[in-house]
Amino acid sequence: MDFGTLGGNLLGTISLGDIVLYLTPFNLFLFAVLLGFTVLIALSKPETQIEATMHYLNNTEVTVGPKEFKQRRFLSIICGIASAGAMITGDLFNFTLFMALVGILNIGIVSAVKQTSVLNSAFNYGLIAMMCSLPLFGGAAIILASAGTLSLAVLSQMPASPMVVFGAVLMLIGILGESGVAPFFASKAEMFRTAGSPFIVIIHLSSLFIIVRAVEILLLVLW
Amino acid sequence: MRIGALWNKLAEPKNIPRLFAFSLGIILIIGLIVPMALNPDQLYVRPAPQEQIDQGLAIAPYDRGGEVLSQAGIINPQYPENAASLGMITGYMSPLAQWVSSVSPYFGTSIYSSPGGLIDEILYYTRGFDTILESSILMMSFIIASWLSINYTMNRKNDENEIKKDVKKAISDSANVAREVKANDEKARAKQLRRDN
Repeated sequence: MDFGTLGGNLLGTISLGDIVLYLTPFNLFLFAVLLGFTVLIALSKPETQIEATMHYLNNTEVTVGPKEFKQRRFLSIICGIASAGAMITGDLFNFTLFMALVGILNIGIVSAVKQTSVLNSAFNYGLIAMMCSLPLFGGAAIILASAGTLSLAVLSQMPASPMVVFGAVLMLIGILGESGVAPFFASKAEMFRTAGSPFIVIIHLSSLFIIVRAVEILLLVLW
Repeated sequence: MRIGALWNKLAEPKNIPRLFAFSLGIILIIGLIVPMALNPDQLYVRPAPQEQIDQGLAIAPYDRGGEVLSQAGIINPQYPENAASLGMITGYMSPLAQWVSSVSPYFGTSIYSSPGGLIDEILYYTRGFDTILESSILMMSFIIASWLSINYTMNRKNDENEIKKDVKKAISDSANVAREVKANDEKARAKQLRRDN
């Protein structure tokens, strides 16, 4: 499928050697929304939670300490920038690298929390993210081997061979695992159950946007 | 099995990596029957296998020709217009590498042989952005690892639930021990009684 049918008119490209970022209204919109949200996160303060205690009359307050706050804010900002970069990249391998960076940062944002149940599910998500590097990079490598190129602009003009389809399916399962879509949602959904809302929301938002972008990329490669 | 039980199993974080590994395995097995169709006209071309070894080149199979800063080597980028002086350092080798290649015909097959200039051109010229991203992935994982090692968030010594679990386990353990002692006691008494009678 062509860029024009999916994202609107091509407004321009940013060329960095073989990696050419391309700008269409669709991609630019996603990019701008993510950057705006990242700015909001950089300025905001984390929420706190009050948990009712069973059988007793006291409540426990879950707060974010200043050290933890700094670490999580830093990682969230990098996560926002990384997912914004994934929105405008025009190279398949570049996209998988952004994806891996977002996955690592998602674990990092949660790893600063001191609740063991959250850390347990973050550990399980980490196992998936580790496994995902095989289908993500393997899928990109298979597409490179069978199509001879990684540039999305060239790939979108090519007919898909069976090997390209297999590479795309591999990439798809990598993306599903990394962004925690059903049926692999549980470990990622449990990670959110903690205080410090804006930082937690960027985990959710980055995987949401990356799924949208991944659908566009798979359509470009396969159609 | 009812579908509700299945959904409940899916909601347990512990089961998710197993499920993911299983489905990944199935897709990889399907991959074995996908017909291979390699494109010979690739990015960053390389000569056919054994071709250079038959010619007897010193750094076979990785000889791409070219002279440093004067003549471009054989390297094929996606967008030649973005890398105008590509190929100028493809043939660069360090003095040590030059010496080894002059005394040994097997230099090209060893691990330290991939011509340094070529790797540099790909890593820092045509695909430089990828290299930046790769190293930032590494940097982020080091940041996370150092945060974890300094603050040790996985410390569960003072976790209330963990303590409760430990106490429960200790109670059941001591109950078991008491039961065993009692059973042994009765056995010994019965033995003694038999002996007395």
